[in-house]
Amino acid sequence: MSETGYPWPIETTRLANGMRVVVSEDRSAPVVAVNLWYDVGSRHEPDGQTGFAHLFEHLMFEGSVNVPKTEHMRLVQGNGGSLNATTNPDRTNYFETLPAEHLELALWLEADRMGGLVPALVQETLDNQRDVVKNERRQRYENVPYGDAWLRLLPLLYPEGHPYHHPTIGSMEDLNAAELATFQAFHRSYYVPDNAVLTVAGDAAPAEVFALAAKYFGGLTAGGQRPPAPTGSLAGWAGPVSSVVAAEVPAPRVYLAHRTYPYGSTEHDAVTVLATVLGQGRGSRLYRLLADGARLAQPDTVGAYGVDLAYAPAPLIASATARPGVTAARLGAALAEVVDELVTGEVTEQELARAQALLETEWWTAVATVDGRADLLSRYTTLFGDPARVGSRLPGWRAVTTSALAEVAREVLRPEDRVTLVYEPMEAVA
Amino acid sequence: MTQLIAQRPEPGTPRPYRFPAVVRRSVAGGSVVAADLPGHNLAVASLLLDAGGGRETIGVEGVAEVLAKALEEGTASRSAADYAVALESLGTDLSLSIDWDSFAATVQVPVAALPAAVELLAEAVRRPKLDPADIERVRDDEAESLRLYWANPGPRADAVLRSDLFGAEVRHGRPLSGDPRTVGALSVDDVVGFHRSWFMAPGTLLVAGDLSRIDLDALGRAAFAGADESSPVVGEPFPAGGRTTRRIVLVDRPGSVQSTLRLGHTAPHRSHPDYVPMTLGAIVLGGAFTSRLNHLLREVRGYTYGIRSEYGLSRRFGRFVTSAGVQTAVTAPALVDAVGEIARTQSEGVTEPELAVARDWRAGQLSVGLQTPRAYASALSTLVVHDLPDDYHARLRESLLHATVDEVSAATAAHLNAEGITLVVEGDAAAIRSELEATGLGEVVTAAI
Repeated sequence: MSETGYPWPIETTRLANGMRVVVSEDRSAPVVAVNLWYDVGSRHEPDGQTGFAHLFEHLMFEGSVNVPKTEHMRLVQGNGGSLNATTNPDRTNYFETLPAEHLELALWLEADRMGGLVPALVQETLDNQRDVVKNERRQRYENVPYGDAWLRLLPLLYPEGHPYHHPTIGSMEDLNAAELATFQAFHRSYYVPDNAVLTVAGDAAPAEVFALAAKYFGGLTAGGQRPPAPTGSLAGWAGPVSSVVAAEVPAPRVYLAHRTYPYGSTEHDAVTVLATVLGQGRGSRLYRLLADGARLAQPDTVGAYGVDLAYAPAPLIASATARPGVTAARLGAALAEVVDELVTGEVTEQELARAQALLETEWWTAVATVDGRADLLSRYTTLFGDPARVGSRLPGWRAVTTSALAEVAREVLRPEDRVTLVYEPMEAVA
Repeated sequence: MTQLIAQRPEPGTPRPYRFPAVVRRSVAGGSVVAADLPGHNLAVASLLLDAGGGRETIGVEGVAEVLAKALEEGTASRSAADYAVALESLGTDLSLSIDWDSFAATVQVPVAALPAAVELLAEAVRRPKLDPADIERVRDDEAESLRLYWANPGPRADAVLRSDLFGAEVRHGRPLSGDPRTVGALSVDDVVGFHRSWFMAPGTLLVAGDLSRIDLDALGRAAFAGADESSPVVGEPFPAGGRTTRRIVLVDRPGSVQSTLRLGHTAPHRSHPDYVPMTLGAIVLGGAFTSRLNHLLREVRGYTYGIRSEYGLSRRFGRFVTSAGVQTAVTAPALVDAVGEIARTQSEGVTEPELAVARDWRAGQLSVGLQTPRAYASALSTLVVHDLPDDYHARLRESLLHATVDEVSAATAAHLNAEGITLVVEGDAAAIRSELEATGLGEVVTAAI
């Protein structure tokens, strides 16, 4: 068994303009993944500009100085590649995986939109992508039962002014008010080489990648001072907090959430294992006690997971949907009891081994693709300044003990720190 | 001062395309089909049975799904809880999937754990306890699970489209997993009977992983132990048929902020000789990001987060479907635009620049999409279900790259059916009905679902 979770080579360099470049060579498939993390996410958004980092991500696909509108997508797909981008509270990432002979194309495209977006950005594009994002909001959050749970949990977990208080998708009001000049300034502040990490993983040699990175990104100017993200504080947060929502949902559902530890800490590793013990798989506590045992919850709806956020205590969320005839109150009490047992009781060695085995497979699945590896390397470089630390995540999970689980459970799952979100079907409330 | 390089780079030297050698073994009355992936830490095994939704009879839709869930409720030698812990302690769940053509039970584990995981897989699939009380409980849970799922936008629209295309009197005119009512009405005998009829054939064990560390024969013996030797016969494709007039079927979703569109018509089955040009045509129309539909409805109009069209093809039937969620207020113009692009593609065919994207995208995805053991297991499954030769993927790549504008345009002309397409719209009927009628796209009827 591999000691490290990352048995592939990692080489790094830094361009004169501050851009960090990471390369992880693997010749086993004729494909190459290109991944950029920009150290800007919705946590950087000031009041009145929620959703801007994500809307901006859309604008990055709409053309730059040497790449006309729609060409970015056409060139990547038209050369056999997959591509996308995501925004979360912490950061924004852009990535494509292509047959290896198109590596240089991907770097050219990325450099052009890093260094040359603003002159190509026009009002018509902003208006169009604003409409697209509003439809994304409708489709993902508004038009599906329980779709807005995450939007409701965040302000309960993080107080006003905290960088995680508002959701990345933003509010319709703020999106409507978004002005072109704001996005131009946003690009100038954050989309600069010294605020980015470029990772290439797969069928390419480090020397070749470093030379191409210098060729395409070396001419870009470093940014100036960037406004720091608000740090936010949890001081003064008084719990427990609960919220009941009457909505168009088919059955009562309960979410319990706790703030735990930032991603990357030893304690966060323990929380990841704890969440797996609690709510992953048919052998988990929630499945055995709520779905199978007491038959209060629909079997395929129980679950728990830790969120990978790095700049404040990240949430652990457990949820379950009621079986017919079970009230939200009864389900909520039972769910809380299962979580409380993690504090008052003990996790067995068998439970720990099961969780670690599941996480082991999850890890090797995540690094089975060059795109999965590239994203992790960008992540560890951006967050911790050291891509090689990626190899420590799996050993970190393996090193968790039952007493470590007990310790973090006691520390972060206290009932007085709990956030509870309950959905009640409209007709049950009326 | 920022310096950008204006000139787009030329591609480097293409690497040769290579699908791993396919290894086939006959073991204990069944077949093992494997792909060698040297150096991978994980391995995947999947037991594939000819026991998909297409094997269900009318009136018991969803029985395969209920049986699949019941397999994990204990075996001849282990309780449900013991089984779950034993399997999950190896690092895997039992992933059960059902499509029209097949049932598959899949495990994914670090290579060393593969023999034990396949033993457990076989224990659940071949020797489940199937206690009547457990089956009834699982059935009720599944019916409730479907009720929750059907509260989302989409499942009702899909069911209405399927019924309109094929007719509710044939199995494939009804939802793959049944609906909350049909599943709730299943009996214990239905479930046990389906197991007896379709789960005792040996089937095929698919394996993807580092074969230098895997004993395929031993895995095959474990997977096929206790199976009898008969394999079911695959029926002929159904006649494709198709409507000659267009209609709008409205599924009411009061207060919905979006309308969910499912626009579709019947299509040939998977092994039709036009498979390559037909599917390339669908990419030009609505598969790629820069496709005609997505470009117009998303990038020009801003009506939607995304719209796509594709063929869903199985052994005995097929359909063409365009799917999107559009803002309620623009439902009618979105529908007009979508039908316009489908009709234009059918009548005018495709252009070389558009086809070049489609061709290279699909060919490239054969490399980009095939990196993990799970992806290779899925590729092996395509070979087995559709009885394709071992060099299928390499040949497919060549036929994609050589497809011409004339061939693809002929296929879009022959297989798209803009005049007979059924336009299912799941949305706020009170808000959109009169506008839909005013489009003149076709008669508007309301579905009772």
